[in-house]
Amino acid sequence: MRINGEWLLFDDGVMRPVIRREILTGGGSWQPAEFLVDTGADRTVFSAATLSKLGLQSIVPQEGISGLGGLADSVVVDTQIRLTRETESTVVFHGQFAAVTKVEALDVSVLGRDLTGLFAVIVDQPSDVVCLVGQQHQYTIAPR
Amino acid sequence: MERKHATVVMEEVTDPDDLARARAQRERFDKNAAWLQAHAAEVYTRYRGKCVVIAGEELFAADTPEEAWALAAAAHPEDDGSFIRYIPREKVAWIYAH
Repeated sequence: MRINGEWLLFDDGVMRPVIRREILTGGGSWQPAEFLVDTGADRTVFSAATLSKLGLQSIVPQEGISGLGGLADSVVVDTQIRLTRETESTVVFHGQFAAVTKVEALDVSVLGRDLTGLFAVIVDQPSDVVCLVGQQHQYTIAPR
Repeated sequence: MERKHATVVMEEVTDPDDLARARAQRERFDKNAAWLQAHAAEVYTRYRGKCVVIAGEELFAADTPEEAWALAAAAHPEDDGSFIRYIPREKVAWIYAH
């Protein structure tokens, strides 16, 4: 299985690895969202701006979410994230995901290791590659 | 020792109708995302501190996500490929790692 992303330009002129796909809303529809592929993030976190469209019942978190700026106000939601395989078929990931509640806390949602830990993660800017690799796929590192 | 979080369960979708709907929505999303990348320099300069929704390959900006979504929905109620981005007030180096 291979799930492809891409390097996207952000507001500060920096290219970052992003996978674009969908989150299941409380109404049963799928809401598109961008996810930063963050290999340092312990867990997946939705931005407050995206959370505002999901209409999901939130659960009080058992533990906080902390970044460089300290603890961020957050909630937990039970939902699904839909990603697209290299074959154009889709895979859904069901679980409890965190979301920050202040818009300024995150400009874009973050894909963390609760989900990326199921895969080998490649974020290779010189070669313009962002992908999650798993199951029937593998990768090789070889000298040029 | 690694902290334990709630388990994430992976499931492959096989229903052809679901896959067709997903593909159509993804194409609309990709168009809106491509529009933002093509206009990134202008958007990131003009809309600092705003929430921007891209729908129908147009931008809708407001102070809150709810307002931005409402503007987009009024103009393009049919577009299920719309998405939102918050443009930070200032250029800063982000260390995400939440």
